[in-house]
Amino acid sequence: MTPQARASAVLFVPAAAWVLAAAAGLAMTSSQPAAWGPVATRGGTVGSADCARCHAEQHESWHASFHRTMTQSVAAGAEVLAPFDGETLQTAGFVATMDRTPEGQPQVTVRRQADGEVVFDATVELTVGSHRYQQYVARIDRGGGDLDRWRLPFAWHPEAGRWIHLGGAFLFPDLPEGDTDAFFRHFSRWNDNCVFCHNTEPNPGRTAAGTFETQVAEFGIGCEACHAPGEAHVLRQSNPLRRMLGGEGDPSVTHPGELTPQRHAEVCGRCHGQRIGKDVASILANGDGFIPGEDLGAHSRPILAEARLASDPDDARPFAERFWPDGTPRLSAYEYQGLLLSPCYDEGHGMTCGDCHTMHGQTPAMQLRPGARTEAACVGRCHTPSHYAEHGGHDTVTCQGCHMPRTTYGLLRGMISHRITSPDPAALLDRNDQPDACTQCHVDQTRDWAAAKMATLGFAPVAVPSRLRVGSRVERDLLGGDPVQRALAAHALARPEAVGAVERRVQALVDALEDDYPAVRWFAVRGLQAIAEDAGVRAWAEQYAFMADAAERIVVVDELRAAAGESALHATPAVWDALAAQRDDVAIAIGE
Amino acid sequence: MGMWLEAMFGLRVAGIVDDPLRREFLRLGHAHGGLLALVNLALAWALLQLHTPALWATRVRLAAWLGSVLVGVGFVGGGLWHGPTDPGPVVLLVPAGAMMLVASIVATAMVRQSDAEPNKSS
Repeated sequence: MTPQARASAVLFVPAAAWVLAAAAGLAMTSSQPAAWGPVATRGGTVGSADCARCHAEQHESWHASFHRTMTQSVAAGAEVLAPFDGETLQTAGFVATMDRTPEGQPQVTVRRQADGEVVFDATVELTVGSHRYQQYVARIDRGGGDLDRWRLPFAWHPEAGRWIHLGGAFLFPDLPEGDTDAFFRHFSRWNDNCVFCHNTEPNPGRTAAGTFETQVAEFGIGCEACHAPGEAHVLRQSNPLRRMLGGEGDPSVTHPGELTPQRHAEVCGRCHGQRIGKDVASILANGDGFIPGEDLGAHSRPILAEARLASDPDDARPFAERFWPDGTPRLSAYEYQGLLLSPCYDEGHGMTCGDCHTMHGQTPAMQLRPGARTEAACVGRCHTPSHYAEHGGHDTVTCQGCHMPRTTYGLLRGMISHRITSPDPAALLDRNDQPDACTQCHVDQTRDWAAAKMATLGFAPVAVPSRLRVGSRVERDLLGGDPVQRALAAHALARPEAVGAVERRVQALVDALEDDYPAVRWFAVRGLQAIAEDAGVRAWAEQYAFMADAAERIVVVDELRAAAGESALHATPAVWDALAAQRDDVAIAIGE
Repeated sequence: MGMWLEAMFGLRVAGIVDDPLRREFLRLGHAHGGLLALVNLALAWALLQLHTPALWATRVRLAAWLGSVLVGVGFVGGGLWHGPTDPGPVVLLVPAGAMMLVASIVATAMVRQSDAEPNKSS
């Protein structure tokens, strides 16, 4: 070898060999079907921590989300929001004490108030939720075996900084005093209930003996709840040359943003849309088998107003109370059904969840895309500015304010409807069974007024009978509606966008403090605390305990009525009695 | 390169400020380019001081220069054209460039004037 050749070999050959090897590797990888095509099976789950190795930014936004903290293990360092520092919750003849074991684990002890007898004692193992309220789960064998877990009937409300018995969070009437069964009515098995929508790849594992061998891939909603089990994806992407080549996605994993609107909505709808399983026994034994990106309808169907149960075909509409008469969902966890019923969805070819929401954005609450609360969500995308301008005279209100009114109840809040509709108060004239978008903000007006006003917004005039009514639509719903209407009416009266004199709204809210449903009273007292300007009213509102004995509550209500003044409805006994008579106190089971 | 990066940041150019992977690899390309330019100067000075034979010196300079270019281009190209999680295939030039640089440095340190003598060249 010449000196020149030796020098060149030392200096250039290793690098040239590397380039040739790398090029050959890239060529081989790019031509391997196994590196690019769909996979026969996604394999098992790997866990969100594994995803962070490549998707650090997405992992960070997920980590800040309420999806991650949907279920947490206390043993693994859950963020327990409640103090568990000896707080007590007195409800219907029982006192629950929340403190900790000597080892520091949260525990709950329930004693009968009359004799101090301990009727329940458990150590908290899991937390569920962390946004609106946090619930707690204990492992108690009540026939389900060693892994039998139960959701306790209490929740911590972070915003209010207090404990709430779930009888007050769900739409049920007051608990009977000293009734143990009623007190524990919302004691709910985690293994075949909560586990489904609060964890990743849940498998209840119910055995033939009725015990549970429940397993989840990950507590909370991890990456694979939306992106499908990642084992095949991780294996494929363990080849760095495959990762460098990138390409147009990887069919071994699901990217909801690249799915059709229908498939995308199904990924969310698996949990944000209450469902009926096709084979309930199989689901309880093995999980629902749904892989995000595939057909959700192969495993279950959404509960709609007309849905029936195969096990009880005689019950014509067992879920009807969860919907308004026109079929619009009125409880949370039915957002998917709301979308399905929306014209914007266009039967799976139009709008989908990801058009307004993003799971990897900056704000954990609501996980909205930037601008999603403004007209930018609609105008310039599908709707033209001129279309928006047709609503002239109403330009202080966003599209969502009218087309997604707050007619949904859940988690002690009034939430926006996910069925996008056009307000038509005239269609609801002389109807007492459904709120309309207009009077949910114009809380001081009747539906007659709203129907007549539509003409001023450019819509066709309608003939509205001229008649005098005592009380606005919302005020009448507050007294004469069913529990959902009453809760939403109380909520509407205290919303920042509510129109009308504060004094009048305060008087109506005081009336709602006499409701038989604690949840309605919760909205009323929280509303009073939010909007009352009179110092005396505010002071008495602070004294009001929404789940205290009726005798104790009525004293405060009298003081509040004296301070705030009597409402028009309260001053008109005939109307008051008529509205009270038309109430429909159906108990609503909240499915979240 | 530095001025271009500054301009991209100053003008908040989409695809730069909102792409951490691209930013990181452009930064790596810029930094390596600057540092390796100094390495090239140091090597040139060392080759003169050590009286490295011309047949080696010429090739060492070429290898060092080419290696530096490949490292810089590899980082910048890998960052500009990248996949969802990793730099693009152009980044594979970085190891090639690094090999040439290492070989250049080792050769500068080890080759003596006598290595050019004919009886040692067979």
